[in-house]
Amino acid sequence: MSKKNLVITSITLTSIVLGLIISLGVLGPIPLTSIRPLGLFYALFMANRNITIEVFPLIVNPGNFWAASTEAITAILWDYRGLDTLFETSVFFFAIIGSIALFRFTEKEEHEIRKKTHENHASEGKYLGLSLITKTITKIILFTIIVVSAAIALHGQLTPGGGFQGGSAFAVAPLLAIAALSRFYLDDIGFKKNTMLLLRTMGLLIIALLAIIPVVAGIGSWQAYIMQNQPKEWAIIQLFPPKGLGVLLGSLVYYNIAELLAVGAGFTIIFILLSIPEEFYKKIIEKEGVEHG
Amino acid sequence: MDEVILRFLWIYTWFVLIATIGLGLYGIAVKPNMLKKIISLTILGDTANVFMIYVGYRAVYPIKPPVLWTMNPSKEVLENFASQITDPVPPALVITAIVINMAITILITFLAIQAYRLYGTLDSRKISKLRG
Repeated sequence: MSKKNLVITSITLTSIVLGLIISLGVLGPIPLTSIRPLGLFYALFMANRNITIEVFPLIVNPGNFWAASTEAITAILWDYRGLDTLFETSVFFFAIIGSIALFRFTEKEEHEIRKKTHENHASEGKYLGLSLITKTITKIILFTIIVVSAAIALHGQLTPGGGFQGGSAFAVAPLLAIAALSRFYLDDIGFKKNTMLLLRTMGLLIIALLAIIPVVAGIGSWQAYIMQNQPKEWAIIQLFPPKGLGVLLGSLVYYNIAELLAVGAGFTIIFILLSIPEEFYKKIIEKEGVEHG
Repeated sequence: MDEVILRFLWIYTWFVLIATIGLGLYGIAVKPNMLKKIISLTILGDTANVFMIYVGYRAVYPIKPPVLWTMNPSKEVLENFASQITDPVPPALVITAIVINMAITILITFLAIQAYRLYGTLDSRKISKLRG
C-alpha cells in the first residue's frame, strides 16, 4: 500500500469511528433538548442576581458571579474569561506585527510606488480604479459599512455583536475601496499604514488599561476585580457607571470600542500591504540582497 | 416518526462535519503545494468552529439567542428564557477561535508569499531540499 493510500485509509477509518462514537451519545443526547448546566449557569448569572439566588440555592454568595449584561456571549467573552480574550487579542497583535516585519517598506519607497503607478497608468491612457459610477456608489457604501460596524460594536453589550464582529465588518470597507478606487484612495482619506498601526496599538493599550484600572484603584483594599464589568455593591471603589445616556454601560462597551479599533485597523494594514504591486517587493529584495552580499 | 427523521439528520450532520475535518487533514498531510495546505488548514479550522456551534445547538423549537430583553427579569421570565436559549458557551469560544485562525492564516500566507518571492516555488518538497 502506498503512503498516500495509507493516509486516506487511516483518515477515513478515524472519521467513521469518531462519527459512530458521537452518534452513540458521547457529546450528550442527540438531538440536544435542553442546554448544558454550564451554559445555563452563565445565562442565568448574567441577569438579576436576586432571582438567581432562588434558582441556584446551593451556591454561596451568588452576587460574585453577577456579570450585569443582557448579552450572555459578551458577558462570557469580556467578563468571565476576560483575561483569555486579552491575551488572544495580543496573539492577533503579534501576528500582524510579524506580517509587517516581513512586508516592510519605507515612506520613500511608498512614495516611489505611488509615482510609478500613476506614471504607468497615465502612459496607458487609463485612470486608477473602476468607472465613475462604481466609484461614486462605492463611496456611499463605504460610509454605510463604517456606520454599521460602529453600530454592531457599540451595541455589543445589549444585542448580538461586539468588538470582533464590528471590526470584521469594518475591514470590508478598505477591501472594497482597494478593489473599486485603488489603494491610493485609502491614503487620501487618511487610512495610511502608520495611522492604522497607531490606532491598533491604541486599541490594545485601552483594553490593557481598562483591565488594570480596577486593580490599581483597589490597592489597599481587597475588593478589586481585574476586568471588572459593573460595580459590585460590596466593593469600596466603584468604577464604570452601570447606566448612562439611557442605556446599560458597564465596562463592556469600552472594551468593544477598543476591540473595534484593534481588529478593524489590523485588517486594514493587512489589506494595504497585500495590495502593493509585486514588482516593487522584488526590487526591494534584490536591493537588500546586494547590500548584505 | 418526526423524531426518527430529526435524529437521523442530526447524526448525518455529525458524520458530514467529521468527514470534512478528515478532508482538511488529508489536504494538509498529502498536498505538496503550500497554498493548498493553507486552504486545507482554513477548511479544518472552520469545520472545527461549526462543530463547536453544533455541540451547543438544540433541536427543540422555539430557539432564541442568549440575549435577555430586560435587566430585572422576574422568575417566570428567567425560567422561560432558560428553556428557549441556545448554549452561550460554544459561541464565546468560537469567536476567539475565529480571530486566532484569521491571525495564523494571515501570518502563514505572508510567509508563503515571501517564500515564493525568494525561492520561486511553493512546492514543499523542493523548498525542503534547499540549503542556506
